[in-house]
Amino acid sequence: MPEASLGKERTPLGVRRGSYDDLVQPMATSTPTDVLASEPSAASGRTRFTLAKAAGSLAAQVSRLTGRGSGVSIRGQVILKLDPNALGKSLAGRRVAVVSGTNGKTTTTHLLHAAVLAALDPAASDRVVSNDDGANLAQGLTSTLAMSPDADTALLETDERVVGEVVRLGRPDVVVLLNCSRDQLDRNHEIAALSAGWREAFVAAGVGGPTVVANADDPLVVWAASAARRVLWISTDSRRSLDAGLCPRCGAPLPPADDGVWACSSCGLSQPEPDYVVAAGEIRHGDRRYRPSLRLPGEFNVGNAAFALAAAHVLGVDPDTAIEAMESVQAPAGRFATVRIGDTPATLMLAKNPAGWAETLPLAGTDPVVLAIDSAAADGRDVSWLWDVDYEQLHGRTVIATGPRATDLAVRLTYADVDHVVVPDLESAVSDIGRPVDVVATYTPFQQLRKMSAR
Amino acid sequence: MTARTPTDDVRIVLVYSSLLGIYGDRGNAMVLARRLHWRGERARLIAVEPGRVLPDDADLYLLGGGEDAAQVSAANAMRLDGAINRAVDRGAVVLAVCAGYQIAGHRFTDGNGVDHAGLGLLDVVTERSAHRAVGEIASYSDILSGDDGWLTGFENHGGLTRLGASARALGRVHAGIGNGDGTDGAVTGRVLGTYAHGPVLARNPALADHLLELVLGRPLAPVACAEVGQLRAERLAKAGVTEGLRLSA
Ligand SMILES: [Zn+2]
Repeated sequence: MPEASLGKERTPLGVRRGSYDDLVQPMATSTPTDVLASEPSAASGRTRFTLAKAAGSLAAQVSRLTGRGSGVSIRGQVILKLDPNALGKSLAGRRVAVVSGTNGKTTTTHLLHAAVLAALDPAASDRVVSNDDGANLAQGLTSTLAMSPDADTALLETDERVVGEVVRLGRPDVVVLLNCSRDQLDRNHEIAALSAGWREAFVAAGVGGPTVVANADDPLVVWAASAARRVLWISTDSRRSLDAGLCPRCGAPLPPADDGVWACSSCGLSQPEPDYVVAAGEIRHGDRRYRPSLRLPGEFNVGNAAFALAAAHVLGVDPDTAIEAMESVQAPAGRFATVRIGDTPATLMLAKNPAGWAETLPLAGTDPVVLAIDSAAADGRDVSWLWDVDYEQLHGRTVIATGPRATDLAVRLTYADVDHVVVPDLESAVSDIGRPVDVVATYTPFQQLRKMSAR
Repeated sequence: MTARTPTDDVRIVLVYSSLLGIYGDRGNAMVLARRLHWRGERARLIAVEPGRVLPDDADLYLLGGGEDAAQVSAANAMRLDGAINRAVDRGAVVLAVCAGYQIAGHRFTDGNGVDHAGLGLLDVVTERSAHRAVGEIASYSDILSGDDGWLTGFENHGGLTRLGASARALGRVHAGIGNGDGTDGAVTGRVLGTYAHGPVLARNPALADHLLELVLGRPLAPVACAEVGQLRAERLAKAGVTEGLRLSA
C-alpha cells in the first residue's frame, strides 16, 4: 500500500523524526469555510465555540460532582446547543479515522488506538484522541474532541447514523465499515437506508473523500463503500449478513451465498476480491501472514483486528508494530473483562442484536450461563429479536435468565427446550453463583454489571 | 377444504424469511411446531426463499415483517407465484403480520407514496400514515374467549389500514395504534392479519392454538405454561390492561 496515495499532505504517524512540535498540525487554520459561512466572521465563530466549550466543561463538572454520570454526553449536549457548528469545528485540522458498523465498533477502535499509539513516541501520546468509552453520537464526539484540543489525530467510533455527517464535516482519511445488520429496529427501522446514507456521503466527498476499509462479505457495506475513491476490502469468512435479502444496487432478491461468495444474478454486484483475508485465526494480506495472539476471544475479533490493521496502515503505521500493539489490548470498554460480583468471578460479554449474539453466544461456555436482557432505549425497546438468536445451542446446560425482560427470554428458552431459571434481579443472579460464570448481556445490564464490579 | 387426512403432518410454510423476517418472525413457526409436538401432533416446517416455488398444498402460511423495498419485492413474487392464493381457495390458513398483513390486503402504499397490489386475501387497503406507530400494542379479540382474548405485541409500521365489508377486525385496540381507527388487524375467512409483529404467537398462545384448530378442524387439549402466563401478565400490565379490565372484557 503506497503511502503516496494518501489524500492529504500529512506526516505519516509511523515516521519518527524531528520533535513532537514538528509533527503537530496547526489547529483551526484549516477550518472548512462552509462551516463558518453561516456566521458573521471566523473570529466570532471561534469565540462562540470557545464559550460553548467552557460552558460544556462546567456542565460536565456539575454532572460528575452530583454523581449523575461521567459528564461526557452532557458536555457535548451543552456545546452543541450553544454552538451548533461545534462538531465541524472540533474535527477541523485533525487527521480523522472513523470506525462504524453494527457490531465491533468499540473493540476495533481500541485496537486501532493501540496500533496508532505504538507508532508514536510515548511522550507524544496526547497527539491522539479517541472516544474509547463508546460515546459515539454527535454529542459524544464533540465532547471527546473538546477535551483534547491539541490532539492532531482523532480515532472515532461513530454511530452508523452519524457517519455521513462526520465524513462531510471532518473529511476523514479513513472510514472503517465493519458490517450492517439489524439493530434497535424501533429506531433504525430501515437498515437499507443506513447503507444508502453512507454511499451518498462517499459520493459527495468525491476525490477528496476517505479511503474506506470495508467488509467484502456484507452486500450493504459493499454497495456503500464502492462509491468511495479508494477501498480496502476485508473478508472475514463471516456469514453473509442476514439483512441483505435484496441486492442493494438493483433490488433483486439476492440468492444464498454458495461457498461463502455472494453475487447478484440480476445486476452482477458481487463480493469484491479481498485485500485482507481472515481465516482460521490468520490475517493474510498479499504474501504477508499475521497470526495475532489477541487477548480477546473469538474469530470475529481477529476479523476486527484485520480492519484495524488496514486502517492503521492507511494512517502510516507499520503492520508489525500494529499487530504487536493490538496483542496487548484487553477488555475494550469492559468487553470480555472478568470481574468480581459478590463472590462470583464473572466474564462479561456484550451482545446487542442477532448478529452480535451469533458471534458471542458460542464463546459463553460455562454451566450455568447467565443471560441478561433489557429493553431500555439503549437496548432497543422491542425484544422480538430473541427469536432470531439460536439459543437452541445451549441445550444440556442451564441458563440463568435475568434483567427486566427475563420473562421474554424464559419463554424463548421454553420453546427452545433449554433448562433455565429466572432470577429477575441482575446483581443476585450473578453474585449468588459463587464460581466462574460467563455472562452475556444487552447494553444496559452490561453497563450495570460493570458498575457493580467497580464498587 | 384441503385434502389433508388426520395422520398427515401439519405443513407450515415460512414465506420468504430473507425479505419478511426482520422482527424474529420465524418465532411464529417455532411456536406452532412446538405446540403441536407438545400434543403429540406432527409438524413440518417448510422455509421458502424468493426465487423458489411456494407449495400450494400446505396447511398454514406465515407472512412476516420487512423493510419497504423487501415488502414490495415479496408482494410481487407472491402474486406472480400464485400458490398462496390457490392454497387459500382450498382452505389453507394464513397468519400475516406487519408488512405481511399489508401484503395480504388488496393494495398498500409504500414509503414513496407508490401504490402496490397485494394478494387480496384480506378485504383491506393500507395507506401511508403521517406518523410511524412504534410501541407496545394491546387489543381484545372476540374470536378468542375470556382473558385469552387479550392480544399483546409490539408494533412498528407506517401504515393506516381500512377494512372493507367482508373483513372484520381481529381486535379492538386498548393501547397502541393498530389499523389507526381503534381496531387492529383483520380476519377474512381463514386469513388473519395483525400489526402485532414478529413472534406474536409467543405472547398469545391462544391465537396460535386457534390457527392450529382451524387447520386440524378439531379442538386441541390445553397446555399449561406458567412462564407464558407470566409474560402475558407483564406485557398487558405495561400496556395498561389491569386485572379489572381483564375481567370485564
Ligand atoms: Zn443487483
